[in-house]
Amino acid sequence: MKLLKKFIAIAVISVMAFSLAACGGGDEGENGELNIYMWSDYLSQDLVDQFTEETGINVNFSYMSTSEEATAKITSGGGDEYDLVMPCDADMTALINGGYLEEINLENLSNFDNLGDIYKYRDFDPENKYAIPYMMNYVYVVYNPETCPIEIDEYADLLDPALEGQIASVTGPRNLFPIALASLGYDPNSQNDEEIAEAYEWLQKYVPNVAGFDSDSAETMLINGAASVGFLFDGQASKAFSEMGDDALVVAELKDAVQLGVDEFVIPKGAKNKENAEAFLNFLLDAENMAFNLQTMLDVDGQAYACPNDAAVALMGDDYQNAPALAIPESVKSNYFLQLDIGDAAKTYDKYWTMLMSEEQ
Amino acid sequence: MSSNKKAALAIGGRRQGLRGKLPAAATAGPVSIWMIIFVMLPLIYILVISFMTRNVYGGIEYTFTLENYKEMLQPLYLKVIWKSLKLAFLTTVVCLLVGYPLAYWIASKPSKTSAKLLMLVMIPYWTSSLVRLYSLNLLAMPNGFLNVFLMKLHIISEPLDLLYSDTMVMFGLITAMLPFSVLPLYSSIEKLDKSLIEASKDLGANSATTFRKVTIPQTMPGIVGCVLLVFIPSLGMYYVPEMLGGGKVMLVGTLVKNQFLVTKNWPFGASLAILLIMITLAMMWIYTRVGKLDDLEVC
Repeated sequence: MKLLKKFIAIAVISVMAFSLAACGGGDEGENGELNIYMWSDYLSQDLVDQFTEETGINVNFSYMSTSEEATAKITSGGGDEYDLVMPCDADMTALINGGYLEEINLENLSNFDNLGDIYKYRDFDPENKYAIPYMMNYVYVVYNPETCPIEIDEYADLLDPALEGQIASVTGPRNLFPIALASLGYDPNSQNDEEIAEAYEWLQKYVPNVAGFDSDSAETMLINGAASVGFLFDGQASKAFSEMGDDALVVAELKDAVQLGVDEFVIPKGAKNKENAEAFLNFLLDAENMAFNLQTMLDVDGQAYACPNDAAVALMGDDYQNAPALAIPESVKSNYFLQLDIGDAAKTYDKYWTMLMSEEQ
Repeated sequence: MSSNKKAALAIGGRRQGLRGKLPAAATAGPVSIWMIIFVMLPLIYILVISFMTRNVYGGIEYTFTLENYKEMLQPLYLKVIWKSLKLAFLTTVVCLLVGYPLAYWIASKPSKTSAKLLMLVMIPYWTSSLVRLYSLNLLAMPNGFLNVFLMKLHIISEPLDLLYSDTMVMFGLITAMLPFSVLPLYSSIEKLDKSLIEASKDLGANSATTFRKVTIPQTMPGIVGCVLLVFIPSLGMYYVPEMLGGGKVMLVGTLVKNQFLVTKNWPFGASLAILLIMITLAMMWIYTRVGKLDDLEVC
């Protein structure tokens, strides 16, 4: 028995040592390292190389596949493996109030003022201690004027029976309930059971019109003709535009408020290289660096991202300013809402969402 | 016997025991450790949090509650579970109906040919299942190969609405699961004692009776293996409905994922996961009883 125990002990220790070694990862640069967890293809590698050259800090990336993953990483205790993580603004209240984040020292961020005023000191982070916005995405409606049977200027149009099986849609309760609530004239982040129930009835009419729900590549359905309308992120619309031509799609001039999502950089509690993270954030906030980043992504991937860094956007040329996916009518741009924390109402949303998705298709 | 002798014997016995256990520890030890760390401990964790409470920010509050299990009994969640059971059942039946004749045919060939045929069953599964599912999706698109082909032949006048439907999900489940039904069926049909079939025919039974009374009971282990290997994974299969259902088909796998990632109600998600495990265990138990099998001699 003793030998068996000894054996087990040795085996356990070696497995643990092995997994610990596996966690270590990453190369240390001459001035330390920086571990970032974010979306893939969302930051110019040339820019990162330049940062490493200037500072001697080596940057290691891990990539996420959904923004929920980023939040789950932080809340389930794996956050301290990283120095910067990119959750979306909807989860910020939970992350901040849950005490999962490290405070950012704004004194180390001399380029902070480059951000547009409406993207600083926001309601969920009034002293701007926790989150630095990186890029933004609108969730809006585009349609193919040739194949779409109707004109769309409000969310209620999406319920038109003429659109049966025609909409390529993003999915998830927190993307769909808000448009129903907005269309019904309620707060898009409502926590009121009756309003959510009404929104559910609204969405019951929406679902039959959906060709497919796909939050990753809804644009595919527009490109291959499976759908004539898209309710999607501007990044997806951008791919559809570059594939189909600038005139093949129209961005609907909606009367209702559109959802604006912001990808935020945060420093998780216990991050080991907080100073490096701040140095990197400041480097990114620099107008020229961010403009270079935007231009590279536009040139390489054909992706034009909306950016809260006003100073950087001002430096951009016509090909960015006139990118069709970003040529959003001013009326739409100024009338936006954010996803806010909904507390325990999340359970109510889930209940109605499950009902909605389990109806016979 | 003196007490000294007894003690010596006991020590000897223990030595023997140790020596006897060493090979077991060396061979099964690493796997057991692996299973304890990566299967048992996480399962215990899931079991524990399934009795906890979600706090307002979506974290876990360590307060005991049975609420999660009560929540599960709401008609809307029962409906999702029922639908998943139904789809898994249909998938199993189809796999059995398609797999059995195929396995029988392969087993009836000379062993060299049957090895090659089995290879042919396996080869498509060497590609990633995601690639196969995406290609199924492309095939079913309104302007995809299938629709264009059928329209060119004037068999249909407008594209079939195949994409993102329950039918596609089931089709995907069946294609994903088919080899798991063919392999156990093949191995037990191959062991089938041909002389018993001849005897049955000599004694005057027709083919149907022979099949019912001799072939099926003889190949029962394979059938049980097929049902277990197909039903259990299709019940919890998460990426097939997600990809082929276009997010419109809610099965229990997606429901569990939503609890963990979207709603951030880990305790409820954990209780659903426990339910799935219970269903699986119940299935295994029923099979060992009904099939009168002492152990699950699969393959």
